[in-house]
Amino acid sequence: MKKEINQTAMNFIITVSCLVIATALAFLFFYFVPKNSGNIALIYILALVIIVRFTEGYLPGLISSVIAVICVNLFFTYPYFALNFTLTGYPITFLEMLAVTLITSTTTTNMKQQAKIIAERDKLLSEAEKEKMRANLLRAVSHDLRTPLTGIIGASASYLENSTTLAEEEKSAIVTHIQEDAHWLLNMVENLLSVTRIYSQSTKLKKTDESVEEVVSAAMSRLKIRIPHAPVTVSVPDDLLIIPMDAILIEQVLFNLLENAIIHSQSVKPIICYVTDSNSEVTFHVKDFGIGIPEERLHQIFDGAPYIGSAESDSNKGMGIGLSICKTIITAHNGIINAHNHENGAEFYFSLPKEEVSK
Amino acid sequence: MTPKNQLLLIEDERNICNFIMTTLKSNDYKVTDAPNAKTGLSLAASQCPDLILLDLGLPDMDGIEVIRQIRGWSNVPILVISARTQEKEKVSALDAGADDYITKPFGTSELMARIRSALRRSSSGSNQLSPAQLQYTAGDLIIDYEKHIIMIHGEIVHFTQIEYKILTFLSQNAGRVITYDSLISHVWGPFADSNNRILRVNMANIRRKLENNPADPQYIFTEIGIGYRMRDNEIP
Repeated sequence: MKKEINQTAMNFIITVSCLVIATALAFLFFYFVPKNSGNIALIYILALVIIVRFTEGYLPGLISSVIAVICVNLFFTYPYFALNFTLTGYPITFLEMLAVTLITSTTTTNMKQQAKIIAERDKLLSEAEKEKMRANLLRAVSHDLRTPLTGIIGASASYLENSTTLAEEEKSAIVTHIQEDAHWLLNMVENLLSVTRIYSQSTKLKKTDESVEEVVSAAMSRLKIRIPHAPVTVSVPDDLLIIPMDAILIEQVLFNLLENAIIHSQSVKPIICYVTDSNSEVTFHVKDFGIGIPEERLHQIFDGAPYIGSAESDSNKGMGIGLSICKTIITAHNGIINAHNHENGAEFYFSLPKEEVSK
Repeated sequence: MTPKNQLLLIEDERNICNFIMTTLKSNDYKVTDAPNAKTGLSLAASQCPDLILLDLGLPDMDGIEVIRQIRGWSNVPILVISARTQEKEKVSALDAGADDYITKPFGTSELMARIRSALRRSSSGSNQLSPAQLQYTAGDLIIDYEKHIIMIHGEIVHFTQIEYKILTFLSQNAGRVITYDSLISHVWGPFADSNNRILRVNMANIRRKLENNPADPQYIFTEIGIGYRMRDNEIP
């Protein structure tokens, strides 16, 4: 309601000021070049086009065309400062100006409406996209959370119920299993927290200049606590690289990729983690020498959809969410994340721009 | 036999409290627990513990405020328990006077190591000429504070003035995290620019002289968003 009043006021102001300026210009013209009165009509037509372009609806254009016609008649045709609608050809001028106004106002109003429709459609699409991402995430989370929780509840129940009959090794196997699942759950929660970190800061990341080797080494120390004796060969370039990023999030991405590689490659060959440097970006690689990624999975591996269907679907638990969160984080950094198979396994890599991309 | 160290645990979460209590008791520490900041503060005053374990997320008071109040009258080491992603919270806890922090969830070995190293620092501080104040040794690295010498694999390695200053400060606080800001103000003075790029560059140079693989360091560890932690001094 308030917006409509504002709009009307705006229309009024634009209309009046355009007409006043046009009239003033016309007077100047009339005094300095009195012989050529054809330009005066043109000045008014120009004013009309401008009014129609910058106001909403048909009304301002119509009203101002009537006013323009009256002004021309009143000020610039003989007898001056008096209305005389009986002049020869005058109805033609009137009709011409009216027609020009009508046609321009219809076209521009159409154009404006179409632009509005397109903008709305884009908004709906991006909303739908976000909604889809959220739904995917939620589905993946609930699917993935249930598995380890069932494991933990079952294992602890069997421990409590059979504590007298179980052998020591069986007991420690059960507790180890519980610990594994709990670790996995924790990692999932850390990942989800990373996402809230992106969205809570009003969609703008808080980036600071960070040294690449420190981020890599932090991910490595966390990995060593999580999986002691993890077979990883890691290297960074000799030159110190400092690039803008949210280091906690990038460390999380690197940790996810390394952990995934160790758990899912089904190989004991060391994983290679290295950093390459080009003119505009820095790329982090995590390369394993295991079973690789199934081709049909490769194109949607970052979508967050739970992977169901393969015999070892259970061993793939959680990979979906972790990777979709990696993608969210890297995209928020204006970077690129990708995966492909090489001859002897799989490789994940992501690049971050060296300079802040100016919007 | 040395008397048992008296610890105070301020933690509101029952399960975590139980687990820490069990761990500490089985490692021969005497532990008292407080479920909230108010009880914690009065126990800290009445029992004079050797170390305080403090969870930052308490129901009745901000953890930072608890640290400030304790620091008002005591230098007892405070070990903060905190979640991983809240690096700002950790930095402000350290700035308020906490000695160190441990990130939830932690293993028992990690917790015991932090407690031992904090207790050692506080006891060596009272003793004027403890060996740890003359020399730092960890793995193949030896720093001799008297002779101003740093040796790796038995060979003397040259460090610049600034690098030596950074290394001595970190190694004299070995086992404990040093925030970027406190490191910068120690090395470059209190009015130094808080832009830590120059610190990063110096750290990168130190790492290249010190570590076999800068991406997988053995001596100086990065705590993302907070600062650096140097490996524990092996000299008691």
